[in-house]
Amino acid sequence: MVGLAAEVIVIGAGHAGVEAACAAARMGADTLLITQSIETIGQMSCNPAIGGIGKSHLVREVDALGGVMASAADAAGIQFRVLNASKGAAVRATRAQADRGLYRTAVRQAVERQANLRLVQQDVANLVFEDGRVVAVETALGITYAALAVVLTTGTFLGGVIHVGRASHAGGRAGERPSTQLAARLRELGFQVGRLKTGTPPRIDGRTMDLARMTEQRSDEPLPVMSFLGSIDEHPTQKPCHITATNERTHEIIRAALSHSPLYGGRIEGVGPRYCPSIEDKIVRFAARTSHQIFMEPEGLETHEYYPNGISTSLPFDAQLALVRSIKGCEAAHITRPGYAIEYDFLDPRGLWPWLETRRIKGLFLAGQINGTTGYEEAAAQGLLAGINAAGHVAAREPWVPSRREAYLGVLVDDLVTQGVAEPYRMFTSRAEYRVLLREDNADARLTPKGRDLGLVDDHRWHVHQTRMARVSKLAGALRTTRVAPSSAQAKQISAISGSKIATDVSAFDLLRRPEVGASALRTSLQTSLHINETCETLPQDWEQVKIEASYAGYIPRMEREIEQLKACEAMPIPASFSYHTISGLSAELAEKLSARAPANLAEAARIDGMTPAALSILLVHLKRDVSA
Amino acid sequence: MVRLSGPEALRIGETISATELQTRHLTRATFEDSNGEAIDEGLAVAFRGPASYTGEDVVELHAHGSPVLLAMLLERSLALGARMAKPGEFSERAFLSGKLDLVQAEAVADLIASGSIGMARAAVRSLKGEFSRRVTALDDAIKAIRVEIEASIDFADEAESFVEMREIETRLAALATQVDAVLGEAARGAALSKGLTLVLTGAPNVGKSSLMNRLAGHERAIVSAEPGTTRDVLHQQIELAGQQLEVVDTAGLRSASSEVEAEGVKRAQAAIEEADVRLDLWDASRPETRGAWPAPSTGQVVIEVMNKQDLVATRETDCLAISAKDGTGCAELVKEVERQVLSARGEPTFLARARHVEALQRCQEALKSARHEHITAKAPELVAESLREAHTALGEIVGLTTTEDLLGEIFRNFCLGK
Repeated sequence: MVGLAAEVIVIGAGHAGVEAACAAARMGADTLLITQSIETIGQMSCNPAIGGIGKSHLVREVDALGGVMASAADAAGIQFRVLNASKGAAVRATRAQADRGLYRTAVRQAVERQANLRLVQQDVANLVFEDGRVVAVETALGITYAALAVVLTTGTFLGGVIHVGRASHAGGRAGERPSTQLAARLRELGFQVGRLKTGTPPRIDGRTMDLARMTEQRSDEPLPVMSFLGSIDEHPTQKPCHITATNERTHEIIRAALSHSPLYGGRIEGVGPRYCPSIEDKIVRFAARTSHQIFMEPEGLETHEYYPNGISTSLPFDAQLALVRSIKGCEAAHITRPGYAIEYDFLDPRGLWPWLETRRIKGLFLAGQINGTTGYEEAAAQGLLAGINAAGHVAAREPWVPSRREAYLGVLVDDLVTQGVAEPYRMFTSRAEYRVLLREDNADARLTPKGRDLGLVDDHRWHVHQTRMARVSKLAGALRTTRVAPSSAQAKQISAISGSKIATDVSAFDLLRRPEVGASALRTSLQTSLHINETCETLPQDWEQVKIEASYAGYIPRMEREIEQLKACEAMPIPASFSYHTISGLSAELAEKLSARAPANLAEAARIDGMTPAALSILLVHLKRDVSA
Repeated sequence: MVRLSGPEALRIGETISATELQTRHLTRATFEDSNGEAIDEGLAVAFRGPASYTGEDVVELHAHGSPVLLAMLLERSLALGARMAKPGEFSERAFLSGKLDLVQAEAVADLIASGSIGMARAAVRSLKGEFSRRVTALDDAIKAIRVEIEASIDFADEAESFVEMREIETRLAALATQVDAVLGEAARGAALSKGLTLVLTGAPNVGKSSLMNRLAGHERAIVSAEPGTTRDVLHQQIELAGQQLEVVDTAGLRSASSEVEAEGVKRAQAAIEEADVRLDLWDASRPETRGAWPAPSTGQVVIEVMNKQDLVATRETDCLAISAKDGTGCAELVKEVERQVLSARGEPTFLARARHVEALQRCQEALKSARHEHITAKAPELVAESLREAHTALGEIVGLTTTEDLLGEIFRNFCLGK
């Protein structure tokens, strides 16, 4: 068929696909989003929650770049908490329990409201190439859509196989078809394909549980907000989670059923994540434990279904039912959907450029679980980046890649393309060397200006951002110039509230750096009596922001030294044609690794395992020679 | 000679020399330690960048060359803010600042490569034994604390109970004491092993002890014509090509006839295996003693030596011929050993030691700030930050721990994930 064309085509409308399509469209690319089912756009296939430690950092970054996820979570969140609230701001993380239906609706609305973005419901079967670049996609019905760039976000659908006990069948998610033809096609094309595994727990009808016998866990007060543009008013009615636990009897049931488990029966070859083990795994690996915690997460406001987070399983249904009913409060539980394990294809992400384009085929971008990651947030972040660069590809712009010092998104793609994955990759704050700089609270300061340049940030967000930045910087400036004398009334008040002694004349900013001096204490003491109010209107959260920046200020010079070195390495590109084997000082093993990974610059080369400072110096010398020659 | 390069070179050089240095002009100077006491008399010269080898300000301190004095000069420079250069770094800097021809890039790269091999060899030597065990134990202890802290940060919403901050504080204090102890020993050099070792092997009574005495210049071992006189391993320090060389004499290898001798044989075998350079001796008057040597271990330099050439009329020509008794051929032997030692290109041990001390000091500083920040700020993420720094510093001695290693350890120790 003729005439069906777009500049960017995104295949798949999960968390990666939606961000990719919206980002490309926001940047002005004529974009087509192709999905097997328009009804399941924005579907949460696993547990109904967004955020968490490390993950919420990604969500805030996606949001700072104008993405969809944070706002959808604000519109759908029925329980909000701040994790690590007692620790420093760098590791504080927002987590939202979402109503699946409301979340889908919010995402669908964002997609439908997006200019330059059209939807197509088709099953993509083939990618068409010409001269090493992607030119079109073909659907199972034989419809061809031409494109200049294609973003592939297949999730768990690529060669998906679902296991429950000894039974298994091809499937992309419970009740949905996998993408078998596309999987075969990608293998044909010579991509390095591996198998990964993930799983879900059985779902339970809340009316058949005795929640009163479990521990209730409510939203935090005041209610946290996910998006920089969000507000508490957007949140729907809140609904608590409940906590219960497995017991010895549960474990006996599981042990007795292990021989029927596809995991332990050897029928699953895919590698599952260590941090998201099935209950079978937990019982085998931590045999001494007598109990494992379970979070009963409500699936929504309009449904009785609960998601028992902590008992992901692929045991046969009868064992699932028995194990659920052995749990306190679940004695009469009715399972609405059995749990299952799913195996799916992923493509070795070392075959990608850091801007998520495949090295093999020009114009083809991959994002989400296809790259070996797990989690909605990891998927969304990659989708956004792939969308940005697909649109950039169409407009013949330089690719954009955030660095490890700018964003968790930079850590994520760098880890993927330089290290590859041995198990589904999940974000942790410990993966970020510059953790104290990459915080939820400053994601906008780090990324929104870049987003504006790229065309991702609309006028409203830009205005809100600039206003906030102006307020905070004025306040910080005023606090730096405001001195507090030991004998002053303010000093006495601050000491009285915080217990902090003021022995010498000190700037208000330096006072804020003291752990015991809270933002609100300082605000109470200084707000009325000093000149700060006349120079700028400030909000309580601005004081909190300055407090955070003041407490980490001591770390910034130290990190900046490291960052300078990193920058210098990043600024030293390695040409794709660079021949490592002719360099005499490199070991054959290292030369082999470098050739295979083809790092784009010296910083990437530095992170390849087995790299030594000496080898790096040798590379630098040779690169410098090639540049000058 | 100690060479300093960089913007602070002049300040450090002048402080040590206790005098103003003139550009491109040798100045006689007394190098002083931090108490103003003389380390050595020598010459100092300054070169202003860009008219210097590296293109930066450069100061050269020419001392008398004894490794001990050089080590003291080095230590003083480090205390004044310098850091140890990486292998080939001066050439690298020279190249990067355009002081060297592009054609020389290959040579610079080779220099870095061979230098790093030498450094690695020296580090391995210096890491033998007790010191290595203790630094590894420190590394493990830091890793264990990091596992706890990182897990408590990244898995705060899990049911696992992580170690309390008070407990972490106690462990950090214990760790700091441990680092202080290791640092104290490392600085004294007590815990570090010696430089290169040279071992004498051969059948009984081929003249090993005589040669040892010859090399050392005085009678150390008991020499007698009776086989089995040397019952133990004897050590002797000599200096060759600016390197400390420990000469080890071994009991003749043969089936032991007494218990005391059996122990000596056991020790000798270990010494032979660990040696960097080996002199395989045989007796010219007894050709059957040729070839009675154990197989060389990996990387060992082996030099075959025919002793007692004064006892025979004809000289074997396919190996070094000497007489330990009258000294014939011993000068040639020393030259050959020097050549081999130089070609091994091992970094002098005192340099390796200086690197280790420097790394331990950075580790100590970072631990200090971990404790300080933990106590004042109650911020585990900052404690984690300092611990990462401490761990990285130790990693320069025992190998780096990656985030993946850490995560692996976390998942092994805790049941995490829903």
